[in-house]
Amino acid sequence: MSTIGEWIRRLNFLIRRRALEDELRCEMEAHRAQMGDPRAFGNTLRLREEARDAWGWVWLDDMVQDTRFALRTLRHSPGFALTAIVTLALGIGGNSAMFSFVNGLLLKPLYDGADKVISVYGRSTTASPDYRGMSYPNYLDLRDGTTEIFANLAAVATAFVGLDAGEGARRTLASGVTANYFQIFGQPLALGRSFAPDEEKADARVAIVSFPVWEQRGSGASALGQTIRVNGELFTVIGVTAKGFTGTAIPGPDVWLPLAVHDALNTAEHVSRLGARGEHALDVLGRLRDGIPVERVAPALATVARRLEQAYPAVNAGYTLAMRTPSRLLFLAGPGSGAMTATFTALLMIMPAIVLLVACLNLADLLLARGHVRRQELGIRSSLGGGRWRLTRQLLTEGLVLALAGGALGLWLSTWAIETLIASLRSVLPVAVTLPRVELDWRVLIGTVVFSLVATLVFGGWPAWTLSGRAVVTDIKRHGGEERHRPGGTRIGNALVIGQVALSLLLLTSAGLFVMSATSAATADPGFRLDRGVLAEIDPSLAGYDEARGRQLQRTLVDRLRSVAGVEAVTIASSFPFSGFNDSRNVAPAGVSAAAPSIDSVFSVVGRDYARTLGLSLLQGRDFNDAELSPGVGERVALIDDALAQRLSPKESALGSLIHFLDGQASEAGQPMRIIGVITAVKHSLGNPRPFPHVYVPLGQHYEADMTLQLRVTAKGAERAMLGTVGRMIREVDDRVPVLRLEEWREHLDSSLEVWLYRVGARVCSAFGAIALLLAVIGVFGVKSYVVSRRTREFGIRIVSGAHPRALLWQVLREGGRVTIVGIGIGLLLALGAGQLLQGFLYGVDAVEPVVLLAAPLILFAASLLASFIPALRATKVDPTVALRSE
Amino acid sequence: MMLVLRVLTTQPLHGYAIAQRIHQLSREELSVEEGSLYPALQKLLVKGWVKAAWRESDSGRQVREYRITASGRRQLETEMAKYRRTATAIGWLLEES
Repeated sequence: MSTIGEWIRRLNFLIRRRALEDELRCEMEAHRAQMGDPRAFGNTLRLREEARDAWGWVWLDDMVQDTRFALRTLRHSPGFALTAIVTLALGIGGNSAMFSFVNGLLLKPLYDGADKVISVYGRSTTASPDYRGMSYPNYLDLRDGTTEIFANLAAVATAFVGLDAGEGARRTLASGVTANYFQIFGQPLALGRSFAPDEEKADARVAIVSFPVWEQRGSGASALGQTIRVNGELFTVIGVTAKGFTGTAIPGPDVWLPLAVHDALNTAEHVSRLGARGEHALDVLGRLRDGIPVERVAPALATVARRLEQAYPAVNAGYTLAMRTPSRLLFLAGPGSGAMTATFTALLMIMPAIVLLVACLNLADLLLARGHVRRQELGIRSSLGGGRWRLTRQLLTEGLVLALAGGALGLWLSTWAIETLIASLRSVLPVAVTLPRVELDWRVLIGTVVFSLVATLVFGGWPAWTLSGRAVVTDIKRHGGEERHRPGGTRIGNALVIGQVALSLLLLTSAGLFVMSATSAATADPGFRLDRGVLAEIDPSLAGYDEARGRQLQRTLVDRLRSVAGVEAVTIASSFPFSGFNDSRNVAPAGVSAAAPSIDSVFSVVGRDYARTLGLSLLQGRDFNDAELSPGVGERVALIDDALAQRLSPKESALGSLIHFLDGQASEAGQPMRIIGVITAVKHSLGNPRPFPHVYVPLGQHYEADMTLQLRVTAKGAERAMLGTVGRMIREVDDRVPVLRLEEWREHLDSSLEVWLYRVGARVCSAFGAIALLLAVIGVFGVKSYVVSRRTREFGIRIVSGAHPRALLWQVLREGGRVTIVGIGIGLLLALGAGQLLQGFLYGVDAVEPVVLLAAPLILFAASLLASFIPALRATKVDPTVALRSE
Repeated sequence: MMLVLRVLTTQPLHGYAIAQRIHQLSREELSVEEGSLYPALQKLLVKGWVKAAWRESDSGRQVREYRITASGRRQLETEMAKYRRTATAIGWLLEES
């Protein structure tokens, strides 16, 4: 029975150990001196140790001793220690970095109580795609009809704006929110207040800024009450969000505005459309009341939906209300984005997991080999009275020390890797955004350390146990014992190597596939000529330009650029392929029955010479004329690409027929447009194997403030200089207009998000593949070295009896090669399976890619041959006299 | 341990004296081995049943003297009671047969 008092006394013994031990010694000396026959006292050292046992700290002493010993032995074999530690660090570091990254961006809830927040959207019962957002009047009816279900039901709309927080306008994301929006999140503000209910619908010029924006401004409380410019208009800062707050999705906006103001900023007329029941632009989010089960939501939504349908059949007929978990990625608003996240997560996590497995196999190899090598030492120690448990514990301590050192190095590695990944992600995002904090996940780190610890203990402890229990005499004598036990040890070692080789090959081939797909993504034919192109994106509305002045500016810039020497062609368009974000419209033939299917197409507003500048051929018809390019009342017209033409009328020419949009701005939806020309299709993104349909309307028909000037220079190599000319020219016209992008077309494609994804995929896979290869080579080397050292005697005898050194060399290489080939065989099967799984993530590469399936095994085979060459060479150098003397 | 506690009830003693005392009191029937005396003393210290202090002995030597504590006396009583019960029981058993 241990009481607290007893523990305190024990602790006291521990702390004052030295002094107490001295006392014990003095006391015993005194005792001895008083005895008649001092020799009867016995061994004082032994007695002292036994007395000390009573303090209950022997285990600690032993541990310290074991650790010291372990450190000493590891210092004596630095090669082994370094290999083991690096092996572990790579496995642990890779895993915890990758998981922290995935967890921070894709898995971990972005805010407290995220499980209670659901998103509501309109779902069509007839049309496809069936997703639609919600209009403000519909939202109000829904909010008031579900007060029993939702503690808060908020609406939010997010769009790009120009933000000038003191250092020039830049493009960023802004969310317009209802007044109750922030209440969903508990405590999202670091400073200030959130919006008041009367600010929601009014023209209230107040704003809440994100933590990073606040930091940029010098992060003082004085930030409150200061003004910032959003799209050129002044707003007063009333609040700052908490660090890492992004709302329900990532990336998070940099500014939050009241819903009505935000809406007005983002319409061409600068008038809010909030009153319109047909403008379904809002995302609706609600926090469930405490104690309300999620099952009650659907019936409540159905009731409201029925009521809305009856009251406003014109906009709500055929629509119901559905719920889902809020989309985590801002630009994947539609339902079902969760599945994609899951697949992505799985893919990202499998690789580091395999590397960890390979690392553990490798460690097992190393420890096993080392255990056998140290057999003699263990034999001697056990014959000197070292208990079996004590010896085992000693070996386990050594494993522990290795695992901890590996874990520490892994921690450092993963912190570094996370920073690199995040930096690389930031550099490629098209706008400045707020990302959630990605921190090293301690649970993962500890998890992986424990995992490798267990691996160390199993693989390190098991040989220790079997060895320490063996008849020691044979081991000391180094007699036939080794011959008898050798096959077992080698067989396990070989099995481990086969496993490593197979898994490494799996990673290598996957890496190969990703590298090939990154290469083919970067060199993909986008459907237009990339060479000699320069683009500049400008948005005069970010500097406060209205439509009339904006049009004027666009015209001026195009005209000036056309007159610059060395420019072959210039155009202006609302989008450029591979920009990441595209406007789209549902296109249908006009004047035909309503049942005709609509075709989702990329929508662009373009100026003169669009096709010519991009090097697209005009297949039929003509380009836009002057009348069409300036605002007017003439017939509405459109250019389409052959992908859309094919789908509109596969049999006859689409030229001259009428089409209309089913959605888009109120002024253009349903208006018939005549097709005046058909041009060749471009790819707008790499994801689609087939070109996506495009529809182009002339500048006169639609004003878009955010436009991209695109031009082709006459001389190859003149792009660089042209970038400077274009930038200068824009500044000359008005230096307040922010240039959002100024680059060569080639650069643009290279830096696009998609190409980046394939690149990162390739880089990450290659890194893990390389690690796996390295580990496999270490594994082969370790096992071969061990085998050779075990058979020193055999080789010695064979050399004495006249065997040619080359024969020995070949024998060792042959044996190593056999093991590798078995591993490669298994690995190829795995790789074929993995290829099928990866198919969806590859670009322009087959799952069975002969080049990869040939190259990867060859590399692996060559590397492993090299790894067994050194031990093999050592076999030929065996000095027979030494080998035989050891008997 | 019970024996050590018992000899300490009358007066504080140092290690050697404890061994001597046990030897005497048992009319030279029992003698305590040093190998078990010191571990026992350390255990008693840990349990808090005895306290130790350095003192100069009559012969002018520094000795560590052990003194029984209150909780030590309680422990001794419990153990004595237990021992008596056991001894009586053994007595009965032996006389019966």
